Amino acid sequence: MRIAVCAPQVPFERGGTEILAEMLTRQLRERGHEVDEVRVPFKWYPGARVLSEALVWRLLDLDLEDRPVDLVIATKFPSYAIRHPKKVVWLVHQFRQAYELDGPEFGQFSQAPFDRATVRSIHRVDRKVLGEADRLFAISQNVADRLERSTGLVAEVLPPPPQQLDYRPATEDGGDFILSVGRLDRAKRVDLLLEAAAVDTSLQVVVAGDGPDRERLERLSAKHRLNGRVTFAGRVTDDALVDLYARCLAVYYAPFDEDFGFVPYEAFLSEKPVVTTRDAGGPLEVVVDRQNGLVSDPVPEAVAAACSWLTAHPDRARAWGRAGKETAERITWDAVVDRLVGS
Amino acid sequence: MRVAYFSPLPPERSGVADYSALLLPALQERMDVTVVRRGAKKPPRGTDVALYHVGNNPEAHGWIVDALRRRSGIVVLHDFVVHHLIAGTTLGRGHSEAYLDAMQRDGGVLGRLLAHGVVDNLLPPIWEERAQDFPLTREVLDQAAGVICHSRYVERLVREYGYEGQISVIPMAAWPSVELGERLVPEGRSPVIVCVGYLNAGKRVPQLLAAFEQFRTRFPNALLVLAGTAASDVRIDAESLGEGVLRLDHLDEADLWRLLDDCDVCVSLRWPTMGETSGMAIRALSLGTPLVVSDVGWFSELPDSVAIKVPVDEHEVRTLTAALEQLGGDEALRREMSAAATGYARREHDLGRVADLYVAAIEEMAGGPSVRQAVLSDVARAAHDVGIDKNDAQLSEIAASVREVGLGN
Repeated sequence: MRIAVCAPQVPFERGGTEILAEMLTRQLRERGHEVDEVRVPFKWYPGARVLSEALVWRLLDLDLEDRPVDLVIATKFPSYAIRHPKKVVWLVHQFRQAYELDGPEFGQFSQAPFDRATVRSIHRVDRKVLGEADRLFAISQNVADRLERSTGLVAEVLPPPPQQLDYRPATEDGGDFILSVGRLDRAKRVDLLLEAAAVDTSLQVVVAGDGPDRERLERLSAKHRLNGRVTFAGRVTDDALVDLYARCLAVYYAPFDEDFGFVPYEAFLSEKPVVTTRDAGGPLEVVVDRQNGLVSDPVPEAVAAACSWLTAHPDRARAWGRAGKETAERITWDAVVDRLVGS
Repeated sequence: MRVAYFSPLPPERSGVADYSALLLPALQERMDVTVVRRGAKKPPRGTDVALYHVGNNPEAHGWIVDALRRRSGIVVLHDFVVHHLIAGTTLGRGHSEAYLDAMQRDGGVLGRLLAHGVVDNLLPPIWEERAQDFPLTREVLDQAAGVICHSRYVERLVREYGYEGQISVIPMAAWPSVELGERLVPEGRSPVIVCVGYLNAGKRVPQLLAAFEQFRTRFPNALLVLAGTAASDVRIDAESLGEGVLRLDHLDEADLWRLLDDCDVCVSLRWPTMGETSGMAIRALSLGTPLVVSDVGWFSELPDSVAIKVPVDEHEVRTLTAALEQLGGDEALRREMSAAATGYARREHDLGRVADLYVAAIEEMAGGPSVRQAVLSDVARAAHDVGIDKNDAQLSEIAASVREVGLGN
């Protein structure tokens, strides 16, 4: 089958969606399909630019006479605006600033009439272009629920397996630090972990990742005099990431209302428990309190208490990490490809 | 975004005033809404968009149309036919030339000539007999930045009338909880049928009385309650009414709800229709009272599971009698319709849902044209840069895509 995998590309960024599109492409090829990735640079500002970007996707024409595309798999806004007679959407997320992130804290749109109408136009585009898909899948229940709330459309939940790295089991003596992995932006709430480290002065933290919030986080770290106990590792290689996972005590991952989150799966494949929060969204579909991690209130004291408890109970931390591994291993590419292509 | 809200409000006695009293708090929970004081000529300073509730009553809505004429905004069209309103704000104020112009815009030379006849007292007022032939809605729509209406029926009429702006169909809201007054219906009568509201020929009161008379031959213990102020075009004083009919005057909300709760069937007939939605029918639905309605306008859009529909034709009285007999003699059917009615009211007319739809419509209508303009400018600039001009075929393809994703006009 000839398949086009569609994903927007924020220039010079590589995050979850980019990894997902690459992995899907590779997995489809390994199963004998002819696959190309279709990427279009994505810029979501100023004003209504985000809508013009949807239009760019709409104007793409994949109806090639000599090499017809049998199936299009679109991933996230605005790539799913593409027109094709056989369109399957594996929804990573909609344009979140127009939905659950619409507000003063995480949003980009104000209360001015132009901005409000832009948000409504995004909703309208979504209803139209997602509604016309042959099949709708969502990477998590959280994403599916949001879609249904905002458009009335129902998607089947199809979680993606995490990236295939050379995950190593936990070291026998266990680690001594809490690891945070991911892009540094406000919604990932790494500040909550730093505030927790300020509450429990015995906590050691490594922050792997880079992003627009890094400077603020480093200032926060300095303000709480966390230097020495908090290390900003920046963007790390795959090998370094695997090593950090193997050496840590537990992984902290508590973004606000995350779509899915590969990090808990990667932590579990490294046999590490995960500390998350009750409002984290997607991670709550896999992190089960006191079975493979701890789910705390989204306040520094509670996060500190969770991390401290794991430090004091390394055997339980290891056992929970192993339990998590069983969960993560159940998600396979065979199942994903069967449902996407067979649909 | 700040919204200037023009509407009659209690203690004014009007369906729109009741409606706004219900809707406003829910809307204010969701957006910054400033209620405009009665008689204000324009929206308060600092508001971004005005919402004008327009109905056919010049007493209640005249000042609102005056303000709309000064500053365009979103129109909530409660009646499609607004002839009475326009006549009241033109002829009623001694501006006969304005009425002639409005009639000419609606009906051409014939409209103007008829209007002359009315002005010179040679013809009866058009709004009494033929308003639906000359709705005069253009006087309102010309200033509308968008239209909100309550039925597909009115949406279709507005489109057929030539309006090209955005239209949102938003159901009327149902009252979530109510206070019930004292029982008004005597105990021991069954089935109890009610007709409530402004009682005029348009509510088909003569036809209802005729049907009820026949109905009583099979159901001698039945009671018909006619509640509300009576118009001069129907005779329903106590002396003229037969046995089995209870006449009540205007009821306050608590008594109204109690009456609807105590009855077995609510009859809400209409012809001609001005495109209105019936607040009374919505109240009845939310209480789970089976409805009998005319098969016209908004009423036709009600599901068959909640209302028996009576066509307005030469068999109207006979069909109405049959509908009453069907409901009167079948308690299981009434129970079934009651359950369907409450479910439908909860689903379709839920206040929170209605308020959310209002916010969406207001936000789209207030800023939508600028957003569409911005997107089209983007496209036009790119097209121009690569040498595509407005007459090229490629541009039609682009325009089609723009419309396809809902970004076109």
